[in-house]
Amino acid sequence: MALGADSMRCGEFHTSYRTDIRIFPTAFSRNMALLGLALLALGPLYLNAYWLSLLIQIGYFSIAALGLNILTGYSGQISLGHAAFFGVGAFTSAWLNNSFGIPVLLCIPLAGLFTTLVGLIFGLPAGRLKGMYLVIATLAAQYIIEDFFNRADWFTGGTAGTMAGSVELFGFAFDTDGRYFYVVLAFLVLTLLLVTNLMRSRDGRAFVALRDHYLSAEIMGINLNKYRILAFGISSFYAGIGGALYAHYMGYVSVEAFGLLLSVQFIGMIIIGGLGSVMGTLLGVIFMVMLPQVVTWGAGALKHLAPQLGSNVSYMQEIAVGMAIVLFLIFEPEGLIHRWKMTKAWWKLYPFSY
Amino acid sequence: MDWSLLLAFAVNGILVGALYGVVAMCFVLIYKATQILNFAQGEFLLIGAWICWATIVQFGLPFWLGFLVTLAFMFLFGVLLQMVVLRPMIGEPIISVIMLTIGLSIVFRSAMNWIFGSHVRSFPAVFDTDHVEILGLNVQMPYVLSFVLAILVVLGFFLFFKYSRMGLAMRATAFDQQVAQSLGVSVERVFALSWAISAMASALAGVVIGMVNGVSSSLAFYGIKVFPAVIVGGLDSIVGGMVGGLIVGVIENLAAFADTQYLHWGNLLEVVPFYVLIIILMVKPYGLFGTEDIERI
Amino acid sequence: MSSKLTPLLAAAAVMGLGLAGPAQAADSIPVGHLSAFTGPTSDVGVPYGNAIDDAVAYINAHGGINGKKIDMPSEDYGYEIPRSVAHYKRWQSSLKPVLIQGWGTSDTEALTPFVTKDGIVFFSASYSGHLTDPTGKAPRSKAATPYNFFVGATYSDACRAQASWAMKDWKASGKEGKPKWVHMGANHPYPNAPKEACTEWAEEIGFDVLPPIVYPLAPADFKSQCLALKDAGVNYAYLGNTAASNVSMIKSCKTVGTDVQFVTNYWGFDEPSAEAAGADGDGIVVPAMAAWTSDAPGMKTVHEVSKMSDPEGKKARALPYIRGVCSAFVMRDAMLLADKSGEVTSQSIKAALETMTEHVPAELQGVCPPVTWTPTDHRATTQVTMYRNNWNNGNPQFEMLDIE
Repeated sequence: MALGADSMRCGEFHTSYRTDIRIFPTAFSRNMALLGLALLALGPLYLNAYWLSLLIQIGYFSIAALGLNILTGYSGQISLGHAAFFGVGAFTSAWLNNSFGIPVLLCIPLAGLFTTLVGLIFGLPAGRLKGMYLVIATLAAQYIIEDFFNRADWFTGGTAGTMAGSVELFGFAFDTDGRYFYVVLAFLVLTLLLVTNLMRSRDGRAFVALRDHYLSAEIMGINLNKYRILAFGISSFYAGIGGALYAHYMGYVSVEAFGLLLSVQFIGMIIIGGLGSVMGTLLGVIFMVMLPQVVTWGAGALKHLAPQLGSNVSYMQEIAVGMAIVLFLIFEPEGLIHRWKMTKAWWKLYPFSY
Repeated sequence: MDWSLLLAFAVNGILVGALYGVVAMCFVLIYKATQILNFAQGEFLLIGAWICWATIVQFGLPFWLGFLVTLAFMFLFGVLLQMVVLRPMIGEPIISVIMLTIGLSIVFRSAMNWIFGSHVRSFPAVFDTDHVEILGLNVQMPYVLSFVLAILVVLGFFLFFKYSRMGLAMRATAFDQQVAQSLGVSVERVFALSWAISAMASALAGVVIGMVNGVSSSLAFYGIKVFPAVIVGGLDSIVGGMVGGLIVGVIENLAAFADTQYLHWGNLLEVVPFYVLIIILMVKPYGLFGTEDIERI
Repeated sequence: MSSKLTPLLAAAAVMGLGLAGPAQAADSIPVGHLSAFTGPTSDVGVPYGNAIDDAVAYINAHGGINGKKIDMPSEDYGYEIPRSVAHYKRWQSSLKPVLIQGWGTSDTEALTPFVTKDGIVFFSASYSGHLTDPTGKAPRSKAATPYNFFVGATYSDACRAQASWAMKDWKASGKEGKPKWVHMGANHPYPNAPKEACTEWAEEIGFDVLPPIVYPLAPADFKSQCLALKDAGVNYAYLGNTAASNVSMIKSCKTVGTDVQFVTNYWGFDEPSAEAAGADGDGIVVPAMAAWTSDAPGMKTVHEVSKMSDPEGKKARALPYIRGVCSAFVMRDAMLLADKSGEVTSQSIKAALETMTEHVPAELQGVCPPVTWTPTDHRATTQVTMYRNNWNNGNPQFEMLDIE
């Protein structure tokens, strides 16, 4: 346990339980968060469409990854099927909008609720499985749901995919990147608050108990089955919201986007960010979204310097993404959040940091 | 009901299932020894197939020599992989290691695509007769070879684990690492050896599949098919791996039979292994031969 | 401890590069190129992508568009739709292309709403019938695709031509009765594109059409599907997938002992596949524009284009390569026409394309089919040339078939 990183900070005196479990432990961190939010809110003024699209991607992936973090990081149930739930949310939202004409802003939470149902259904059998068997069962769920997407023409448009409308509020269409950015930002802030709140509540503590030592948790009276299934449900809710936002951003949903590769990327996001930490998830998502972009930039620069490489650069890109994940896991297995805490500790304890 | 066709499908299922079984046994070997779910198992097949193809086609070695070179290469590859990449990860949470193997699988697949290109390549013909007929199904010689090899591999594993010192050491490590260590077993060597043997046997399967279907990056998908096989058989039972592989192969083909004759859904055989997986997990959570996890407080 | 500095440095570098953006030469025409060098279709995506790159290099080296060079960054998207959308968005803010050379069915159909809204001409390697209706009024159209163009006959037309040839072949061999036809392919937009139209046509001309058989895009063991083919006594099977899985299918079926004449889609077979399939690939029929070894006058130009990346002229290029060259040269001709009328913009290129009637690029006579576009019909051509693979005991040659 690193000195200075997790111990109480100077000037932090909690005199009541209420202040102890505040979301932002110090006034400084709260002000920083608000400042960051303000900067983001002004984003569309000074960022071009490319950066806005990246931030939007980070936004909806973060929401889904937070869901996965609840399931895997806090409750200890590893799931390789998250992309399938993401897809359920995306298709549901598009389908509700296309078939029933429900305004898109309503479709998104409705899609989240529907995905929760699906998640609860899958959680029922999954609650009985432990460890590696659960991992493999979620892998199977991923393939089965993907197959369902391929087949259910009425729901997903089959393999040709389906169009998803853009968000409209009283006739004002949020169809440019700049405008959609605010929609995603709103949902992201809401999700962050909800998830952080969940983790400091009774249910959140139950999840952590479930992960750390489920036998003791059961002895203490925590209903294991209920909380396991609940974890699946809640994580699916956020996956569904993330998926719905994705669908209405792309304007087009097709089943290929929700394969095992995306599930693996979600797991990568929370592991690289740091399991069991909200901020870690954000960092992990930023890493996973920016990694292909950085590699593309590097490839572009490489092409200018050494044009004879030609199409080989594409292969190097793929290898670079895989190697980045591998190297990161070898050298920083506890994730970016650990690195962040180390950095903070270094600053705090200077010149005695070691 | 077309019985002869059904029988043909069933025979095909057993042949394909034997290959699944070999890969599943390799997977279980790694899991038993190191508790790691190796998502890069399919890539071992791929690398083995490509190396063998390269030695035969690009370097012009005769088949048997190329095959042996491949086995030796894969042995070294497994050892190196364990030493360089996986040893630093000992003690880390299991999900990080799983993610690591997934990252490795991405790297290997891209590297193979880069080095050998993305076209399907076929092996030059190795056998004089093209196929034999078994119970009404034209069976290609490589498949017969694979079945023979699969049986040899099972026998080899059995003899190795039962009678050799190293095999005994591996079993001890799988049972309880700390006790084995205290008795003088070099756990590092056991880990490295388990990865090496797994890589070698997977390469064997890869070469056989490559001989029949041609070598291409789709070989890696066998790494995903292995999951239903090990679940059916039990994650920590090597015999279970083979049995699970056979069962999955047969069920796949029976599903294909039902699909083409009656259902016309199209791709039932692709998803059926996963439905079977879920059903087996409901009924027998630890598979047919897996050891039940008795929880003690 | 460099591990905490590295992400910061990387982020700084990205910001710097991102805000700087590429320097755009004045008087150059920006074109985006989406290629599939990696991913499940890379076996045919690589030659096509190479062709587009080589052809543009050739065009630039031979005077460009009235002196203006084409600025075409080539981005691999690995056949993943989200990546193609990301590239598109990035180009919108930096490159601002007037035309995009794309690739596959799924990403073209995904990007169609975007390019229609933003008004950018999109050349695809996908010849799907869904991309041919600028007004969206045809009975089977899903959406209006006014900015989509492709140089080639639609998959549906090609399939119909294959079926007609198959019926001719059946009658010529003197066999009695109704021949059996089956459509095979993955459950995916690319193989599905011609399914309906082709099945209807096959029934119309007298085939006994059996239920379609599914096999995945990735190569695997397909003995089960082949057993089904054999059991049903199918005579002609249309393979809708790309070359990789088709080769596996052909080999699996030969070993099972099925006696089926395979016909494939444009991207379903080519010279490397013929080598991989070996003797089993003898007699496969595939639509193509021209083969590398053909003696059409335009093939010399294709050889020259190939030298842009292969100066010694050693590589024999596959069928997809030639299609790429045709696509790039038609694009050049459209840009020349647009330039004559003033500025080269998406609108002027689109207008230029829609005036083309039976157009073949001057240097490519006998190689590319004549293309015609109108403001209400983006079906370029209905002419389909078919080639048959002649194994020739180890030296596969592609021979053109007589079409009616």
